[in-house]
Amino acid sequence: MSEKDQYKNRIELLQGTLDMLILQTLQWGPQHGYGVVQALRLRSGDVLQVETGSLYPALHRLERQGWVQSEWKQSESKQRARYYRITAKGKKQLASDLGRWERIVEAIGLVMYVKPEESES
Amino acid sequence: MKWFPSFGSQRRKRELQEEIDAHLQMAIADRMSRGETKETARQAATREFGNVLLVQDVTRDMWGQAWLEQLGRDVRFALRQLRKSPGFTITATAMLAVAICANSTVFSWIDGTMLRPIPGARDTGELVSLQRGERNFSPTPPFSYLDYRDLREQNHTLAGMLAYHHDWITLTGGAQPERAYIANVTANYFDVLGIKPVLGRFFLPEEETRPDAVPNVILAYSLWKTRFAADPAIVGKSIELARHPVTVIGVAPEGFVGAMPGLRDDLWVTLDPLGTDAWRMTHRSGGAVWLNVIGRLRPGVSRERATLDLDTVMHRIVAAFPDDHLGENRISLDPMWRSPFGANGFMAATLPILLAFSGLVLLLTCANVATLTLVRFVARRRELAIRQSLGASQIQLIRQMVLEGVVLSIVAGALALVLTSWTSKTFAWFFRASAGPTTLNGSMDHNVVIGIAVFSLLAGMLCGALPAWRSSHAPALEVLKAESASISGGSRNRRLLSALVVSQIALSLPLLLCSALFLRTLRNLANADPGFEQDHILTASVGTNIVGYSRDQERVVRHKILDRVSALPGVEMASFTDWVPMTLSHKGDDAYPEGYVPHPHEALQVYHAEVSAQYFESLHIPILEGREFTPNDDEKAPQVLIVDQTAAKRYWPGQDPLGKKLMVWGRPFTVVGVAKNSTHMLMNELPEPMVYMSFFQAGYETIVQVKTEGNPAYLAPAVEHAIHEIDTRMPVFDVRPMRESTQLASSFAVVQSALAGVFALIGLVLAVTGIYGVVAYRTQMRTHEIGVRMALGASRVDVLKLVLMQGLWLTGIGLAVGLAFALGLTRLITRLLYGIGANDPMTVASVVMLLGTMSLAACYFPAHRAMRRNPVTAIREL
Repeated sequence: MSEKDQYKNRIELLQGTLDMLILQTLQWGPQHGYGVVQALRLRSGDVLQVETGSLYPALHRLERQGWVQSEWKQSESKQRARYYRITAKGKKQLASDLGRWERIVEAIGLVMYVKPEESES
Repeated sequence: MKWFPSFGSQRRKRELQEEIDAHLQMAIADRMSRGETKETARQAATREFGNVLLVQDVTRDMWGQAWLEQLGRDVRFALRQLRKSPGFTITATAMLAVAICANSTVFSWIDGTMLRPIPGARDTGELVSLQRGERNFSPTPPFSYLDYRDLREQNHTLAGMLAYHHDWITLTGGAQPERAYIANVTANYFDVLGIKPVLGRFFLPEEETRPDAVPNVILAYSLWKTRFAADPAIVGKSIELARHPVTVIGVAPEGFVGAMPGLRDDLWVTLDPLGTDAWRMTHRSGGAVWLNVIGRLRPGVSRERATLDLDTVMHRIVAAFPDDHLGENRISLDPMWRSPFGANGFMAATLPILLAFSGLVLLLTCANVATLTLVRFVARRRELAIRQSLGASQIQLIRQMVLEGVVLSIVAGALALVLTSWTSKTFAWFFRASAGPTTLNGSMDHNVVIGIAVFSLLAGMLCGALPAWRSSHAPALEVLKAESASISGGSRNRRLLSALVVSQIALSLPLLLCSALFLRTLRNLANADPGFEQDHILTASVGTNIVGYSRDQERVVRHKILDRVSALPGVEMASFTDWVPMTLSHKGDDAYPEGYVPHPHEALQVYHAEVSAQYFESLHIPILEGREFTPNDDEKAPQVLIVDQTAAKRYWPGQDPLGKKLMVWGRPFTVVGVAKNSTHMLMNELPEPMVYMSFFQAGYETIVQVKTEGNPAYLAPAVEHAIHEIDTRMPVFDVRPMRESTQLASSFAVVQSALAGVFALIGLVLAVTGIYGVVAYRTQMRTHEIGVRMALGASRVDVLKLVLMQGLWLTGIGLAVGLAFALGLTRLITRLLYGIGANDPMTVASVVMLLGTMSLAACYFPAHRAMRRNPVTAIREL
């Protein structure tokens, strides 16, 4: 299987989650692609390492769906970069993504942490 | 960028590039601020980022419309690849264009004849032509008006049913008399066909059988254009037909030329416009059987059901009028594309077979182009492997390779389209010397364009997809590793190449065999003895019956013609007939011998011709018993006829036919002679009984038959002049030597052999170049190996044998497969052959020899070259 197919698979696996993570990162303020990667890595304590092959397709997809907007700006280090900003629609999407995420976590939790006495009754 | 979406995509690409650059710059800056050197920071950041091109690629996938862009990119890439090898591109395109053109030409002929049997008519698929009694080639009109009307009124399966009869007439009244083809039609004729007038109206139901003082006439569009200068006020005007005034009531739309496929009507009148045909309209047999009938099936009714229904009605008619319906009366229905009336009976027997041949040519060409493509892909396998290891997916590679084939075939299809717009019109060439108003030709319409598109697509898929699928299967790493050690592109490709070569030989063999059989047929036809003299005979039709003479006037004029023409210098003798043999036409009627009891379902039809004294003498047809006609066998004398051997044997087996009586048209004729059998329609016909009647007792049309001393063509102007001296208004037409007229009978043989010959030539060239190409290529691939062999002591003859054996094997297998295929295929053309069997051993052997020798010769050149190589340079060459 070629590399490209691997990327595609990763996107599929993480799709919902990656979109949510990116939108959450942008909640804190407009950010460029590199910034999103760094922010996710720092906030997750170096656990989440987003690959560029997933990040940029995701950013462009989010923009096409109208959840983020982009503009070219100078960064603090005088580097011209494309900054992504979350839109009102994106915020709504983030809320619903988060709600779904919480339900999933809760549901998975219910399955994984069943108390022994409850399961026997 | 929203305003200029097309520029937007370029800009977006640039922006993506910039975005990624910025990402890398920031990553490098971060690393450097942590103390890394610029170089290590750059390397680390790049590694971390991954494959930039791939990221761009997958990101662009998100933009949508990506497939279109990708297609554009692939097409550009394909064009670039094709430009890199112009030799391949031009050869392949030319070959494909010729092969597609061969198919689309035959298809355009089918389209112009069989698929559009009645141009202008609505839903011709619903139309069926009715035949009563025996089925044969080019039958005579099968129905009387009364039978037709009963069928029309009593059937439950047809939405409409029309009847017509057509013949020549003279348009008088203008400066020049002009011969035109006129049809007597039922009032519903145009309605059933679904034709609307461009001017005026068509016939009303009450006019169908009603004679009028001034009959109504409808003009064909082309006649209205040419003779009446497209006069917009023509409706209501009076014109003259055979010196009778008639009123124009309407003009048919452009393109519509009548209900009989392949023939052109110029005018239409009702069934009995002058009231002179009352007898015909009120009888059911003999001369009253004169109508061709076409029906339109009701929606949802099958042909089988309609046949059953009409047959039931016909049975009732036969039961009610048994004396008028002796013999076979079963009704059969044919769809118009193969209607036995008109040209389509012949077309349906010939054109589909030719299309099958051209299909073979296309397959053959595809196999050839596929071979070239495969060789090219093998040569490009390094490039393909590199692209694959750089991340191009298998689908992408196949897509690109197939696209190269598709681009080729699209260009070839476009070329074929241009070529076909000319070749489609060449069909008419084969039908020049015809006495009928034939309008046979190919047509170039949307059907043909769609056909070309289908042929090209098929070709593109075949010669692009197959090799692409094969080549893309090779694992990239192995190809790259094995590159230098590879001998001939791997065993997989070798097998496919062999299969392609074998199939080319196998496909070209049937083409060669069929064309050889057709050529032999043509030669046999030309050399065959039709039983009558064809040289030194000139025939000329004279329109004595269509100028409007009375019977007495006509008789006087006919005698004058005979006297004048006989007196011309260079004329040995002149006679009259009303039929020319072997012109795809014949006259038929029911004949009942006195005392003959017909078997059930036996057709009592005989061919007949009305001929004058000296007819048999000038055609060298021997009179075996009795006598020839004399000038005394005229209207006042007892009615006599001469039968041929077939008729004599059929009606009076073992008896002396002389003096026996035969009832034709309800009148008794006495047999006065027996003539030797001669050919009536086609050389390979089954002999039909023929009776000759005396011209001055029963002749209708007038054809002067002149026996000349020298070349008959030289006498044509003199004969025409002599006739015009009698009456300048008399139309004289179809003046031509007998040999030219009878060529019409072999025109289909000419079409077949001409096309099959061209196809076979293409096939031979393709097969031979195909095997040459593959053997040469393989030998070149094995140069190194051959060098090693020679260095180890193999002689030059060994090398020659090595290469030749390879070609020999391929040729042998190809010939064996092809022979089996060809022998199966020739069974289809048995009916089209004359004087030669479909599996004629001589022809089969010579064709196999020819193809085998040519193939071996093609292998000899590369073998010879390999033999002459210097082993040292051969080993060095990798």
